[in-house]
Amino acid sequence: MSPGRRRRRLAAVFGLGGALVAVCLWILSEPSPLSASAIPAHTPDLRNGETLFRAGVCLACHKPPDGSNANAELPSGGAAFKTPVGVFYPQNLTPDAETGLGGWSALDFVNAMRLGISPAGTHYFPAFPYPSYRSMTTEDLLDLYAWLETLPAVRSPARKADVPLLTVARRGVGLWKRLELRRPTHASDGTRSASWNRGAYLVNAPGHCGECHTPKSWLKVADDRRHMRGGPHPGGEEGTVPDLHGLVARKRYKDAGDLTLALQNGETLGYEDLSSGGMAAIQEQIARLPESDVRAMSEYLLSLE
Amino acid sequence: MKVTSHAVSFAVLAAFFFGTTSVAMLASDPPAAPDPAKARHDAMEAVGSAMKSLAAIAKKEAPFDAAAVEKNAGAMAENLEKASKLFVAGTGGGESRAKPEIWSDAAAFEKAMADGIAAAKALQAVKDEAAFMPAFQAVGGSCKGCHDKYRAPRK
Repeated sequence: MSPGRRRRRLAAVFGLGGALVAVCLWILSEPSPLSASAIPAHTPDLRNGETLFRAGVCLACHKPPDGSNANAELPSGGAAFKTPVGVFYPQNLTPDAETGLGGWSALDFVNAMRLGISPAGTHYFPAFPYPSYRSMTTEDLLDLYAWLETLPAVRSPARKADVPLLTVARRGVGLWKRLELRRPTHASDGTRSASWNRGAYLVNAPGHCGECHTPKSWLKVADDRRHMRGGPHPGGEEGTVPDLHGLVARKRYKDAGDLTLALQNGETLGYEDLSSGGMAAIQEQIARLPESDVRAMSEYLLSLE
Repeated sequence: MKVTSHAVSFAVLAAFFFGTTSVAMLASDPPAAPDPAKARHDAMEAVGSAMKSLAAIAKKEAPFDAAAVEKNAGAMAENLEKASKLFVAGTGGGESRAKPEIWSDAAAFEKAMADGIAAAKALQAVKDEAAFMPAFQAVGGSCKGCHDKYRAPRK
């Protein structure tokens, strides 16, 4: 064989191999949403919906931009959410037909929260914390959806994320999901009290505390062996996210009553650790939960030793 | 005679050493060590410790005591004033939790600091228990607003 022919043959083999890999990656990154049969008949509990909205601290990210004249109490979205990957502009969660959830079905909402798939069938970047939300019960998701639908509609058009190679990167999220969404979902612990389990659910599923407090592996998958162990700030901010283990042993809080007061009042009662790195906005939403839920969260958190 | 001359030379030597070392010590004594980051950190720690005593009253762990409130809120105002003069441009980074917004948004930061001082002074003037809680929460809210924007998490 002449060197020219050999080179051409090599190129053909590599070209074919590359195409094969591309096809595999394309198939592996394919979004596969749930079908309508995944949605049970359910009478929504609106109060529970609002509780989940507060526990999920949705407003902290889905707020209007600073300085806009939109009502800051409504999750009309648009405020910049900066990450090392790029800047995202979270979705309008009010029921506006064109720009909000008005045109969504309950199935669309469940697909977004559980699988990170948009109504258009594309992947959401995990700046939207569906790896945690997927542990929420379907009934809770439907209650939250129903409550959001009762809010006044605000017009707030979506703004495209500012991420390099957006379309390719978005499809690539499908590959990452193959690892991240294979992690076990949050499960209750039969040996613990009902209130401990309530707290664990609120913290790990809607509360998505682990999105910042649990460090990630080099593949950006949450490292369950270091659950709530703290680490670098995922937003690329200065300083670290604290370890939530041994909060009593390390004299951060005296007991569950003390942590409950801290979560309800934050620094207005002198709890200064709850005002940095974005915790203030989170604490303000947690403060609006029923006291029993804040206490349950405290009980669970202080059991991490 | 020999003994005395020895004693004299020792005395002279001792005086000489003592003299030079004390002069050297005086000379090495830093004329107001210019480390604003450390000085403001210490001032803010003093604010934090005053806050602890006040928070104990707010949480009803300690009884309301007008004299203690005046003393602690006074210490708070004083140390906040001290700290507010120590945010010298270029002294962020390293150990400091001061965020760059302090300098990029200087006017807003100075106003937030002045509001904090005013809130601490208002708390200092509180004489009765009924007025304590609102004044205390105004101070806490001021700490929170400022920390949220201008202080990075622990490193």
